[in-house]
Amino acid sequence: MMSLPFVLFACALGAAWLRQRGVAMGFWLVGLVTMLVLFRVHVTEVLSIQL
Amino acid sequence: MSADLSRLLNAIGLLGIGTVLALALVDQIWFGELPCPLCILQRAGFFAAGFGIALNLIFGPKPSHYGVAIIGAVAGGAISMRQILLHIVPGTGSYGDAVFGLHLYTWAFIAFGLMIVGCAIMLLDDRQFSRAEPMSMRLKVLPLTALLVFLALALGNIASTVAICGAGLCPESPSSYMLFDNMPL
Repeated sequence: MMSLPFVLFACALGAAWLRQRGVAMGFWLVGLVTMLVLFRVHVTEVLSIQL
Repeated sequence: MSADLSRLLNAIGLLGIGTVLALALVDQIWFGELPCPLCILQRAGFFAAGFGIALNLIFGPKPSHYGVAIIGAVAGGAISMRQILLHIVPGTGSYGDAVFGLHLYTWAFIAFGLMIVGCAIMLLDDRQFSRAEPMSMRLKVLPLTALLVFLALALGNIASTVAICGAGLCPESPSSYMLFDNMPL
């Protein structure tokens, strides 16, 4: 699951290499959204602050 | 600024991002410091931002490519800022060892900030966008090297992340490679 953004960005790079700009941008966008969703999952880790 | 000079600067920038990602892998493999989930997502942020620079090298400089790099750097910067804030209160500890007095997530935040500023400075010169001449021979080696290094690091990070986290979400503080732990030997 956590490797998904890297897979999608690698696909984006591969598509760009093959001159498929639209496909590459699509992979990048999906990769970015996946990254932000995973960030949302981990952003709620509890702060251990003693008040 | 000519399109050639723009490509040269973009290639140097992409190699800089590649160096950051390579050092993170060296820290992980050589010094055994496994990345936390937020650290892994910051690495992904470098790929999100670096992809815009890679587009400049492949298709020539365009404002939209710098936009891609800036969006990626903002996303990565937000993740690193979150990790800084997790440890900002004295006594809440930190993750990993400090390098030159700052932790890697703080360096990552600085790097993302520099990328945003760098892209903004590059966007100031419109002349690089006005011509679309093919890439000259003398500039082919460096952009190609930068792109190959970037692609190799993406593949390396896929392997590394699968090894640490397996197919699911990562543990909050990974202490071993989950993939190898679960392997029947």
